[in-house]
Amino acid sequence: MKSTAFNVASKCQGDAAVVYPRGYLNNIAGESLVSECHNVIGQGAKKIVLNFRETDFINSIGVSLLLNIIEDLNNIGGTLCFAEMSKIHRDTFEMLGLTKYILVFNDENEALQYLSTETS
Amino acid sequence: MSIELKKALYNISALADLGQEITSEDNFTVKIQSVLHVIMGTFVVNRGAILWYEKTKDEITFIAKRGFEDASPACWETGQIMSLEKNEPRAVSGDSVLAGAGVAILIPLWVRDEFIGAVVLGDKFSAEAYSPEDLELLKVIAHQTAITINNHALFMGLSEKLEENRKLYEEMRRIYHDTLQAFAAAIDAKDVYTKNHSHRVARYSVAIARELGWNEHDVEGIYVAGFLHDVGKLVISNELLNKRKPFTSDELHEMKRHSLLSYKIISNIRFPWKDVENIIRHHHERLDGNGYPDALTREDLSDGVKILTLADSFDAMTTERAYREKMDIRTALVELRSCLDTQFDNKIMLAFCKVLEKEIKGELPEPNILPHLDRNFELSHITALLEGLIQELSQ
Ligand SMILES: [Fe+2]
Repeated sequence: MKSTAFNVASKCQGDAAVVYPRGYLNNIAGESLVSECHNVIGQGAKKIVLNFRETDFINSIGVSLLLNIIEDLNNIGGTLCFAEMSKIHRDTFEMLGLTKYILVFNDENEALQYLSTETS
Repeated sequence: MSIELKKALYNISALADLGQEITSEDNFTVKIQSVLHVIMGTFVVNRGAILWYEKTKDEITFIAKRGFEDASPACWETGQIMSLEKNEPRAVSGDSVLAGAGVAILIPLWVRDEFIGAVVLGDKFSAEAYSPEDLELLKVIAHQTAITINNHALFMGLSEKLEENRKLYEEMRRIYHDTLQAFAAAIDAKDVYTKNHSHRVARYSVAIARELGWNEHDVEGIYVAGFLHDVGKLVISNELLNKRKPFTSDELHEMKRHSLLSYKIISNIRFPWKDVENIIRHHHERLDGNGYPDALTREDLSDGVKILTLADSFDAMTTERAYREKMDIRTALVELRSCLDTQFDNKIMLAFCKVLEKEIKGELPEPNILPHLDRNFELSHITALLEGLIQELSQ
Protein backbone atom coordinates (compact mmCIF):
# COMPACT_ATOMS: atom_id res chain seq x y z
CA MET A 1 0.00 0.00 0.00
CA LYS A 2 1.09 3.54 -0.73
CA SER A 3 2.52 5.46 2.18
CA THR A 4 3.94 8.95 2.14
CA ALA A 5 7.16 9.58 4.08
CA PHE A 6 6.11 11.56 7.12
CA ASN A 7 8.10 14.56 8.34
CA VAL A 8 7.67 17.51 10.66
CA ALA A 9 8.65 21.18 10.59
CA SER A 10 8.13 23.88 13.21
CA LYS A 11 8.61 27.57 13.91
CA CYS A 12 8.47 29.63 17.08
CA GLN A 13 6.48 32.81 17.39
CA GLY A 14 6.75 34.46 20.82
CA ASP A 15 5.69 31.98 23.48
CA ALA A 16 3.83 29.95 20.87
CA ALA A 17 5.10 27.40 18.39
CA VAL A 18 3.57 26.28 15.12
CA VAL A 19 4.21 22.66 14.21
CA TYR A 20 3.55 21.29 10.73
CA PRO A 21 2.96 17.56 10.35
CA ARG A 22 3.52 16.65 6.69
CA GLY A 23 2.18 13.45 5.22
CA TYR A 24 -0.10 10.74 6.48
CA LEU A 25 -0.49 10.43 10.22
CA ASN A 26 -1.17 6.71 10.08
CA ASN A 27 1.86 4.86 11.34
CA ILE A 28 4.65 4.87 13.86
CA ALA A 29 6.61 7.44 11.81
CA GLY A 30 4.15 9.95 13.28
CA GLU A 31 5.98 9.62 16.62
CA SER A 32 8.33 12.28 15.27
CA LEU A 33 5.42 14.73 15.60
CA VAL A 34 5.10 13.88 19.30
CA SER A 35 8.83 14.34 19.86
CA GLU A 36 8.88 17.64 17.95
CA CYS A 37 6.12 18.95 20.22
CA HIS A 38 8.13 17.68 23.17
CA ASN A 39 11.13 19.67 21.89
CA VAL A 40 9.27 22.94 21.52
CA ILE A 41 7.78 22.48 24.98
CA GLY A 42 11.32 21.90 26.24
CA GLN A 43 12.30 25.21 24.64
CA GLY A 44 9.62 26.95 26.67
CA ALA A 45 6.58 26.95 24.40
CA LYS A 46 3.32 26.50 26.31
CA LYS A 47 1.09 27.16 23.33
CA ILE A 48 1.23 24.98 20.25
CA VAL A 49 -0.60 25.33 16.98
CA LEU A 50 -0.69 22.15 14.90
CA ASN A 51 -1.22 23.11 11.28
CA PHE A 52 -2.74 20.19 9.37
CA ARG A 53 -2.50 21.83 5.95
CA GLU A 54 -0.34 18.99 4.63
CA THR A 55 -1.95 16.13 6.50
CA ASP A 56 -4.91 14.71 4.67
CA PHE A 57 -5.11 11.37 6.39
CA ILE A 58 -5.29 10.53 10.09
CA ASN A 59 -6.21 7.06 11.35
CA SER A 60 -6.54 5.53 14.81
CA ILE A 61 -2.75 5.52 15.22
CA GLY A 62 -2.74 9.25 14.43
CA VAL A 63 -5.48 9.81 17.01
CA SER A 64 -3.37 7.99 19.61
CA LEU A 65 -0.32 10.15 18.78
CA LEU A 66 -2.34 13.38 18.95
CA LEU A 67 -3.70 12.20 22.29
CA ASN A 68 -0.10 12.02 23.54
CA ILE A 69 0.42 15.67 22.57
CA ILE A 70 -2.85 16.74 24.17
CA GLU A 71 -1.74 15.04 27.37
CA ASP A 72 1.75 16.56 27.28
CA LEU A 73 0.31 20.07 27.02
CA ASN A 74 -2.37 19.35 29.61
CA ASN A 75 0.36 18.38 32.04
CA ILE A 76 1.99 21.82 31.81
CA GLY A 77 -1.29 23.75 31.66
CA GLY A 78 -0.60 24.79 28.07
CA THR A 79 -2.92 25.38 25.12
CA LEU A 80 -3.18 23.25 22.01
CA CYS A 81 -4.75 24.59 18.80
CA PHE A 82 -5.58 22.71 15.63
CA ALA A 83 -5.61 24.71 12.40
CA GLU A 84 -6.58 23.88 8.82
CA MET A 85 -7.97 20.50 9.79
CA SER A 86 -10.29 18.93 7.23
CA LYS A 87 -13.99 18.65 8.04
CA ILE A 88 -13.88 14.88 8.23
CA HIS A 89 -11.10 14.89 10.83
CA ARG A 90 -12.75 17.69 12.75
CA ASP A 91 -15.94 15.59 12.87
CA THR A 92 -13.99 12.57 14.04
CA PHE A 93 -12.36 14.52 16.85
CA GLU A 94 -15.71 15.91 17.84
CA MET A 95 -17.25 12.44 17.88
CA LEU A 96 -14.39 11.14 20.01
CA GLY A 97 -14.97 13.95 22.51
CA LEU A 98 -11.49 15.42 22.00
CA THR A 99 -12.53 18.90 20.90
CA LYS A 100 -13.01 19.71 24.60
CA TYR A 101 -9.26 19.68 25.07
CA ILE A 102 -8.20 21.63 22.02
CA LEU A 103 -9.13 24.81 20.21
CA VAL A 104 -10.01 24.49 16.55
CA PHE A 105 -9.30 27.32 14.10
CA ASN A 106 -9.71 27.64 10.38
CA ASP A 107 -6.20 28.93 9.87
CA GLU A 108 -2.93 29.43 11.63
CA ASN A 109 -3.14 33.22 11.87
CA GLU A 110 -6.50 33.07 13.55
CA ALA A 111 -5.02 30.68 16.10
CA LEU A 112 -1.94 32.81 16.73
CA GLN A 113 -4.06 35.92 17.06
CA TYR A 114 -6.21 34.22 19.64
CA LEU A 115 -3.16 32.95 21.53
CA SER A 116 -1.58 36.42 21.60
CA THR A 117 -4.63 37.78 23.43
CA GLU A 118 -4.72 34.88 25.86
CA THR A 119 -2.90 35.60 29.11
CA SER A 120 -0.60 32.80 30.05
CA MET B 1 -24.79 11.29 9.99
CA SER B 2 -25.75 10.14 13.48
CA ILE B 3 -23.11 9.86 16.18
CA GLU B 4 -23.68 6.09 16.35
CA LEU B 5 -23.00 5.77 12.64
CA LYS B 6 -19.88 7.90 12.89
CA LYS B 7 -18.71 5.80 15.81
CA ALA B 8 -19.45 2.56 13.93
CA LEU B 9 -17.51 3.77 10.90
CA TYR B 10 -14.61 4.86 13.05
CA ASN B 11 -14.59 1.37 14.55
CA ILE B 12 -14.65 -0.30 11.12
CA SER B 13 -11.69 1.76 10.05
CA ALA B 14 -9.88 0.96 13.29
CA LEU B 15 -10.27 -2.73 12.44
CA ALA B 16 -8.90 -2.04 8.98
CA ASP B 17 -5.95 -0.21 10.63
CA LEU B 18 -5.40 -3.19 12.87
CA GLY B 19 -5.53 -5.58 9.92
CA GLN B 20 -2.96 -3.51 8.11
CA GLU B 21 -0.60 -3.40 11.08
CA ILE B 22 -0.70 -7.08 11.91
CA THR B 23 -0.15 -8.12 8.33
CA SER B 24 2.59 -5.53 7.72
CA GLU B 25 6.16 -6.58 7.13
CA ASP B 26 7.46 -4.37 9.92
CA ASN B 27 9.55 -5.99 12.62
CA PHE B 28 7.72 -7.32 15.64
CA THR B 29 8.57 -4.43 17.98
CA VAL B 30 7.23 -1.83 15.54
CA LYS B 31 4.22 -3.99 14.78
CA ILE B 32 3.21 -4.47 18.39
CA GLN B 33 3.81 -0.78 19.19
CA SER B 34 1.56 0.13 16.23
CA VAL B 35 -1.11 -2.30 17.42
CA LEU B 36 -1.04 -0.59 20.82
CA HIS B 37 -1.46 2.82 19.13
CA VAL B 38 -4.46 1.49 17.18
CA ILE B 39 -6.05 0.25 20.41
CA MET B 40 -5.39 3.50 22.28
CA GLY B 41 -6.58 5.65 19.37
CA THR B 42 -9.72 3.57 18.98
CA PHE B 43 -10.79 3.81 22.61
CA VAL B 44 -9.20 7.20 23.26
CA VAL B 45 -7.08 6.22 26.24
CA ASN B 46 -3.70 7.62 27.21
CA ARG B 47 -2.51 4.67 29.26
CA GLY B 48 -2.23 1.21 27.75
CA ALA B 49 0.10 -1.76 27.40
CA ILE B 50 0.53 -5.14 25.79
CA LEU B 51 2.15 -7.83 27.91
CA TRP B 52 3.73 -11.15 27.02
CA TYR B 53 3.75 -14.25 29.18
CA GLU B 54 7.15 -15.83 29.61
CA LYS B 55 6.35 -19.44 30.34
CA THR B 56 9.75 -20.49 31.68
CA LYS B 57 9.74 -17.69 34.28
CA ASP B 58 5.96 -17.72 34.87
CA GLU B 59 6.07 -13.96 34.55
CA ILE B 60 4.45 -11.34 32.37
CA THR B 61 6.45 -8.45 30.91
CA PHE B 62 5.64 -5.34 28.87
CA ILE B 63 6.28 -5.60 25.15
CA ALA B 64 4.67 -2.24 24.37
CA LYS B 65 3.40 0.42 26.73
CA ARG B 66 2.45 4.02 27.25
CA GLY B 67 1.95 5.30 30.77
CA PHE B 68 2.34 2.63 33.50
CA GLU B 69 5.81 4.04 34.23
CA ASP B 70 5.78 2.80 37.81
CA ALA B 71 4.05 -0.51 37.20
CA SER B 72 5.96 -3.76 37.75
CA PRO B 73 3.99 -6.55 36.10
CA ALA B 74 6.48 -9.14 37.38
CA CYS B 75 4.60 -8.81 40.67
CA TRP B 76 1.18 -9.33 39.11
CA GLU B 77 -0.42 -12.68 39.88
CA THR B 78 -0.27 -14.55 36.57
CA GLY B 79 -2.31 -17.43 38.00
CA GLN B 80 -5.14 -15.06 38.79
CA ILE B 81 -5.07 -13.48 35.31
CA MET B 82 -5.04 -16.92 33.72
CA SER B 83 -8.11 -17.94 35.73
CA LEU B 84 -10.20 -15.21 34.08
CA GLU B 85 -12.31 -15.87 31.00
CA LYS B 86 -10.19 -16.12 27.83
CA ASN B 87 -9.95 -12.97 25.68
CA GLU B 88 -12.82 -11.35 27.63
CA PRO B 89 -12.29 -7.71 28.60
CA ARG B 90 -13.15 -7.10 32.24
CA ALA B 91 -13.20 -4.12 34.53
CA VAL B 92 -10.58 -4.29 37.27
CA SER B 93 -11.94 -4.03 40.80
CA GLY B 94 -11.06 -0.95 42.79
CA ASP B 95 -8.86 -2.41 45.52
CA SER B 96 -6.61 -4.75 43.50
CA VAL B 97 -2.88 -4.43 42.76
CA LEU B 98 -3.79 -3.85 39.12
CA ALA B 99 -6.10 -0.96 39.93
CA GLY B 100 -3.30 0.50 42.05
CA ALA B 101 -1.09 0.43 38.96
CA GLY B 102 -3.72 2.36 37.01
CA VAL B 103 -5.34 -0.52 35.12
CA ALA B 104 -9.07 -0.06 34.43
CA ILE B 105 -9.61 -2.86 31.90
CA LEU B 106 -7.76 -6.15 31.61
CA ILE B 107 -8.00 -8.67 28.78
CA PRO B 108 -6.20 -11.99 29.24
CA LEU B 109 -4.87 -13.08 25.83
CA TRP B 110 -5.28 -16.68 24.78
CA VAL B 111 -4.89 -18.63 21.55
CA ARG B 112 -6.75 -21.87 22.00
CA ASP B 113 -5.22 -23.39 25.17
CA GLU B 114 -2.12 -21.27 25.20
CA PHE B 115 -1.90 -18.29 27.57
CA ILE B 116 -0.17 -15.52 25.62
CA GLY B 117 -0.26 -12.46 27.88
CA ALA B 118 -2.58 -9.53 28.39
CA VAL B 119 -3.73 -6.15 27.16
CA VAL B 120 -4.31 -3.56 29.88
CA LEU B 121 -5.91 -0.15 29.47
CA GLY B 122 -6.35 2.81 31.80
CA ASP B 123 -9.48 4.92 32.01
CA LYS B 124 -10.71 6.70 28.92
CA PHE B 125 -9.27 10.17 28.42
CA SER B 126 -12.79 11.58 28.72
CA ALA B 127 -13.30 9.62 31.98
CA GLU B 128 -16.42 8.08 30.42
CA ALA B 129 -17.05 4.42 31.15
CA TYR B 130 -16.30 1.77 28.51
CA SER B 131 -19.54 0.94 26.68
CA PRO B 132 -20.69 -2.64 25.95
CA GLU B 133 -19.85 -1.95 22.26
CA ASP B 134 -16.33 -0.91 23.27
CA LEU B 135 -15.87 -4.17 25.14
CA GLU B 136 -17.20 -6.18 22.21
CA LEU B 137 -14.77 -4.51 19.81
CA LEU B 138 -11.95 -4.82 22.30
CA LYS B 139 -12.55 -8.55 22.42
CA VAL B 140 -12.08 -8.87 18.64
CA ILE B 141 -8.96 -6.72 18.75
CA ALA B 142 -7.53 -8.63 21.71
CA HIS B 143 -8.01 -11.95 19.96
CA GLN B 144 -6.15 -10.71 16.89
CA THR B 145 -3.39 -9.29 19.08
CA ALA B 146 -3.05 -12.65 20.82
CA ILE B 147 -2.68 -14.42 17.49
CA THR B 148 -0.10 -11.91 16.30
CA ILE B 149 2.03 -12.39 19.41
CA ASN B 150 1.66 -16.14 19.27
CA ASN B 151 2.61 -16.23 15.59
CA HIS B 152 5.70 -14.28 16.41
CA ALA B 153 6.62 -16.65 19.22
CA LEU B 154 6.04 -19.62 16.95
CA PHE B 155 8.03 -18.07 14.17
CA MET B 156 10.93 -17.35 16.50
CA GLY B 157 10.87 -20.78 18.05
CA LEU B 158 9.78 -23.62 15.91
CA SER B 159 9.67 -23.81 12.18
CA GLU B 160 7.88 -27.15 12.27
CA LYS B 161 4.89 -25.32 13.62
CA LEU B 162 4.44 -23.48 10.33
CA GLU B 163 1.30 -25.38 9.58
CA GLU B 164 -0.28 -24.32 12.84
CA ASN B 165 0.86 -20.79 12.12
CA ARG B 166 -1.00 -20.86 8.84
CA LYS B 167 -4.14 -22.06 10.57
CA LEU B 168 -3.90 -19.26 13.08
CA TYR B 169 -3.67 -16.69 10.33
CA GLU B 170 -6.75 -18.27 8.83
CA GLU B 171 -8.46 -17.92 12.17
CA MET B 172 -7.46 -14.27 12.36
CA ARG B 173 -8.78 -13.59 8.89
CA ARG B 174 -12.01 -15.31 9.79
CA ILE B 175 -12.51 -13.10 12.81
CA TYR B 176 -11.89 -10.06 10.63
CA HIS B 177 -14.52 -11.23 8.18
CA ASP B 178 -16.99 -12.07 10.93
CA THR B 179 -16.69 -8.51 12.09
CA LEU B 180 -17.28 -7.11 8.61
CA GLN B 181 -20.28 -9.41 8.42
CA ALA B 182 -21.69 -7.88 11.58
CA PHE B 183 -21.50 -4.45 9.96
CA ALA B 184 -23.18 -5.74 6.80
CA ALA B 185 -25.98 -7.11 8.96
CA ALA B 186 -26.46 -3.61 10.37
CA ILE B 187 -26.90 -2.30 6.81
CA ASP B 188 -29.34 -4.99 5.77
CA ALA B 189 -31.34 -4.63 8.97
CA LYS B 190 -32.41 -1.11 7.95
CA ASP B 191 -34.41 -2.39 5.04
CA VAL B 192 -36.63 -5.36 5.86
CA TYR B 193 -36.79 -6.38 2.22
CA THR B 194 -33.06 -6.56 1.71
CA LYS B 195 -32.33 -8.84 4.65
CA ASN B 196 -29.05 -10.66 3.97
CA HIS B 197 -28.78 -8.92 0.59
CA SER B 198 -25.17 -7.81 1.23
CA HIS B 199 -24.22 -11.28 2.34
CA ARG B 200 -25.64 -12.93 -0.79
CA VAL B 201 -24.19 -10.34 -3.15
CA ALA B 202 -20.77 -10.94 -1.56
CA ARG B 203 -21.08 -14.72 -2.05
CA TYR B 204 -22.33 -14.47 -5.64
CA SER B 205 -19.49 -12.07 -6.48
CA VAL B 206 -16.95 -14.48 -5.00
CA ALA B 207 -18.35 -17.33 -7.09
CA ILE B 208 -18.03 -15.33 -10.32
CA ALA B 209 -14.55 -13.97 -9.51
CA ARG B 210 -13.24 -17.47 -8.74
CA GLU B 211 -14.74 -18.78 -11.99
CA LEU B 212 -12.85 -16.01 -13.79
CA GLY B 213 -9.64 -17.29 -12.21
CA TRP B 214 -9.00 -14.37 -9.83
CA ASN B 215 -6.38 -14.94 -7.13
CA GLU B 216 -7.63 -15.40 -3.55
CA HIS B 217 -6.47 -11.97 -2.40
CA ASP B 218 -8.54 -10.22 -5.08
CA VAL B 219 -11.44 -12.58 -4.38
CA GLU B 220 -11.38 -11.40 -0.77
CA GLY B 221 -11.48 -7.81 -2.00
CA ILE B 222 -14.64 -8.34 -4.01
CA TYR B 223 -16.17 -10.20 -1.09
CA VAL B 224 -15.63 -7.16 1.12
CA ALA B 225 -16.96 -4.85 -1.65
CA GLY B 226 -20.08 -7.03 -1.83
CA PHE B 227 -20.58 -6.78 1.90
CA LEU B 228 -20.25 -3.03 2.09
CA HIS B 229 -21.64 -1.83 -1.28
CA ASP B 230 -24.87 -0.52 0.22
CA VAL B 231 -23.37 1.00 3.38
CA GLY B 232 -24.55 4.42 2.11
CA LYS B 233 -28.13 3.27 2.74
CA LEU B 234 -27.48 3.76 6.45
CA VAL B 235 -27.79 7.46 5.73
CA ILE B 236 -31.08 7.17 3.79
CA SER B 237 -34.33 7.35 5.77
CA ASN B 238 -36.14 4.15 6.75
CA GLU B 239 -39.45 5.43 5.36
CA LEU B 240 -37.92 5.85 1.93
CA LEU B 241 -36.07 2.52 1.98
CA ASN B 242 -39.22 0.63 2.88
CA LYS B 243 -41.69 2.59 0.76
CA ARG B 244 -44.24 0.41 -1.02
CA LYS B 245 -45.48 2.91 -3.59
CA PRO B 246 -43.34 3.87 -6.60
CA PHE B 247 -40.77 6.58 -5.89
CA THR B 248 -41.36 10.17 -6.95
CA SER B 249 -38.53 11.62 -9.00
CA ASP B 250 -37.17 13.43 -5.93
CA GLU B 251 -37.24 10.23 -3.96
CA LEU B 252 -35.55 8.33 -6.74
CA HIS B 253 -32.87 10.98 -6.81
CA GLU B 254 -32.40 10.56 -3.07
CA MET B 255 -32.22 6.75 -3.37
CA LYS B 256 -29.62 7.02 -6.11
CA ARG B 257 -27.31 8.92 -3.77
CA HIS B 258 -26.54 5.72 -1.88
CA SER B 259 -23.74 4.42 -4.12
CA LEU B 260 -21.87 7.72 -3.90
CA LEU B 261 -22.50 7.84 -0.14
CA SER B 262 -21.15 4.30 0.17
CA TYR B 263 -18.07 5.40 -1.74
CA LYS B 264 -17.53 8.44 0.47
CA ILE B 265 -17.76 6.36 3.61
CA ILE B 266 -15.60 3.52 2.32
CA SER B 267 -12.90 5.68 0.76
CA ASN B 268 -11.95 6.82 4.25
CA ILE B 269 -10.96 3.27 5.09
CA ARG B 270 -7.64 1.87 3.96
CA PHE B 271 -8.36 -1.72 3.09
CA PRO B 272 -5.58 -4.15 2.23
CA TRP B 273 -7.43 -4.82 -1.06
CA LYS B 274 -7.16 -2.48 -4.01
CA ASP B 275 -10.15 -0.85 -5.66
CA VAL B 276 -12.82 -1.78 -3.08
CA GLU B 277 -14.04 1.83 -2.96
CA ASN B 278 -14.28 2.22 -6.74
CA ILE B 279 -16.12 -1.06 -7.20
CA ILE B 280 -18.61 0.17 -4.60
CA ARG B 281 -18.96 3.63 -6.17
CA HIS B 282 -19.84 2.18 -9.55
CA HIS B 283 -22.13 -0.69 -8.63
CA HIS B 284 -25.07 1.02 -10.38
CA GLU B 285 -23.23 1.96 -13.56
CA ARG B 286 -24.29 0.39 -16.88
CA LEU B 287 -22.42 -0.59 -20.03
CA ASP B 288 -24.56 1.80 -22.10
CA GLY B 289 -23.71 4.81 -19.94
CA ASN B 290 -27.18 5.14 -18.43
CA GLY B 291 -26.10 4.27 -14.91
CA TYR B 292 -25.05 6.42 -11.97
CA PRO B 293 -23.32 8.28 -10.35
CA ASP B 294 -20.80 8.91 -13.15
CA ALA B 295 -22.58 7.54 -16.26
CA LEU B 296 -19.46 5.58 -17.17
CA THR B 297 -19.46 3.26 -20.18
CA ARG B 298 -18.19 -0.24 -20.92
CA GLU B 299 -14.51 0.69 -21.40
CA ASP B 300 -14.33 2.51 -18.06
CA LEU B 301 -15.81 -0.27 -15.96
CA SER B 302 -13.51 -2.80 -14.30
CA ASP B 303 -14.34 -6.49 -14.12
CA GLY B 304 -14.88 -6.01 -10.39
CA VAL B 305 -17.63 -3.45 -11.03
CA LYS B 306 -19.23 -5.67 -13.66
CA ILE B 307 -19.24 -8.65 -11.29
CA LEU B 308 -20.80 -6.72 -8.43
CA THR B 309 -23.43 -5.16 -10.72
CA LEU B 310 -24.56 -8.53 -12.00
CA ALA B 311 -24.53 -10.17 -8.55
CA ASP B 312 -26.48 -7.23 -7.09
CA SER B 313 -29.10 -7.29 -9.85
CA PHE B 314 -29.54 -11.06 -9.76
CA ASP B 315 -30.20 -10.95 -6.03
CA ALA B 316 -32.51 -7.96 -6.36
CA MET B 317 -34.53 -9.85 -8.98
CA THR B 318 -34.78 -13.10 -7.06
CA THR B 319 -35.87 -11.60 -3.75
CA GLU B 320 -39.06 -9.81 -2.79
CA ARG B 321 -39.03 -6.01 -2.61
CA ALA B 322 -41.37 -3.51 -1.00
CA TYR B 323 -42.82 -2.64 -4.37
CA ARG B 324 -42.88 -6.00 -6.19
CA GLU B 325 -42.90 -9.78 -5.95
CA LYS B 326 -39.76 -11.80 -6.52
CA MET B 327 -38.92 -13.43 -9.85
CA ASP B 328 -38.18 -17.12 -10.18
CA ILE B 329 -34.64 -18.06 -11.15
CA ARG B 330 -35.45 -18.92 -14.75
CA THR B 331 -37.17 -15.56 -15.32
CA ALA B 332 -34.27 -13.75 -13.68
CA LEU B 333 -31.74 -15.45 -15.97
CA VAL B 334 -33.80 -14.55 -19.03
CA GLU B 335 -34.04 -10.99 -17.75
CA LEU B 336 -30.25 -10.77 -17.24
CA ARG B 337 -29.75 -12.11 -20.76
CA SER B 338 -32.05 -9.47 -22.24
CA CYS B 339 -29.96 -6.77 -20.57
CA LEU B 340 -26.60 -7.96 -21.94
CA ASP B 341 -24.82 -5.17 -23.81
CA THR B 342 -26.92 -2.51 -22.12
CA GLN B 343 -26.28 -3.39 -18.46
CA PHE B 344 -24.33 -6.58 -18.08
CA ASP B 345 -21.14 -7.86 -19.60
CA ASN B 346 -21.11 -11.08 -21.67
CA LYS B 347 -17.91 -12.39 -20.10
CA ILE B 348 -19.26 -11.95 -16.57
CA MET B 349 -22.63 -13.47 -17.49
CA LEU B 350 -20.82 -16.44 -19.02
CA ALA B 351 -18.80 -16.96 -15.83
CA PHE B 352 -21.97 -16.67 -13.75
CA CYS B 353 -23.80 -19.28 -15.87
CA LYS B 354 -20.81 -21.62 -15.79
CA VAL B 355 -20.37 -21.48 -12.03
CA LEU B 356 -24.10 -21.88 -11.46
CA GLU B 357 -24.10 -24.93 -13.70
CA LYS B 358 -21.12 -26.40 -11.86
CA GLU B 359 -22.87 -25.85 -8.54
CA ILE B 360 -26.05 -27.53 -9.78
CA LYS B 361 -24.04 -30.50 -11.03
CA GLY B 362 -22.38 -30.73 -7.62
CA GLU B 363 -18.92 -30.11 -9.03
CA LEU B 364 -17.98 -27.48 -6.45
CA PRO B 365 -17.39 -28.58 -2.83
CA GLU B 366 -18.51 -25.26 -1.35
CA PRO B 367 -21.29 -23.72 -3.43
CA ASN B 368 -21.74 -19.95 -3.02
CA ILE B 369 -24.95 -19.43 -4.99
CA LEU B 370 -27.15 -22.50 -4.58
CA PRO B 371 -27.64 -22.32 -0.79
CA HIS B 372 -29.29 -18.91 -1.21
CA LEU B 373 -31.72 -19.74 -4.00
CA ASP B 374 -35.40 -20.52 -3.59
CA ARG B 375 -35.65 -24.13 -2.38
CA ASN B 376 -39.02 -24.68 -4.01
CA PHE B 377 -37.62 -24.05 -7.44
CA GLU B 378 -36.85 -27.17 -9.46
CA LEU B 379 -33.27 -26.58 -10.60
CA SER B 380 -33.50 -29.12 -13.42
CA HIS B 381 -35.78 -26.59 -15.12
CA ILE B 382 -32.89 -24.30 -15.82
CA THR B 383 -30.14 -26.73 -16.87
CA ALA B 384 -31.13 -26.54 -20.53
CA LEU B 385 -31.38 -22.76 -20.36
CA LEU B 386 -27.93 -22.52 -18.74
CA GLU B 387 -26.42 -24.82 -21.33
CA GLY B 388 -27.90 -22.69 -24.11
CA LEU B 389 -26.63 -19.48 -22.56
CA ILE B 390 -23.14 -20.91 -22.09
CA GLN B 391 -23.01 -22.05 -25.69
CA GLU B 392 -24.30 -18.72 -26.98
CA LEU B 393 -21.92 -16.64 -24.87
CA SER B 394 -18.87 -18.83 -25.60
CA GLN B 395 -19.00 -18.01 -29.28
FE1 LIG C 1 -27.04 -0.45 -4.42
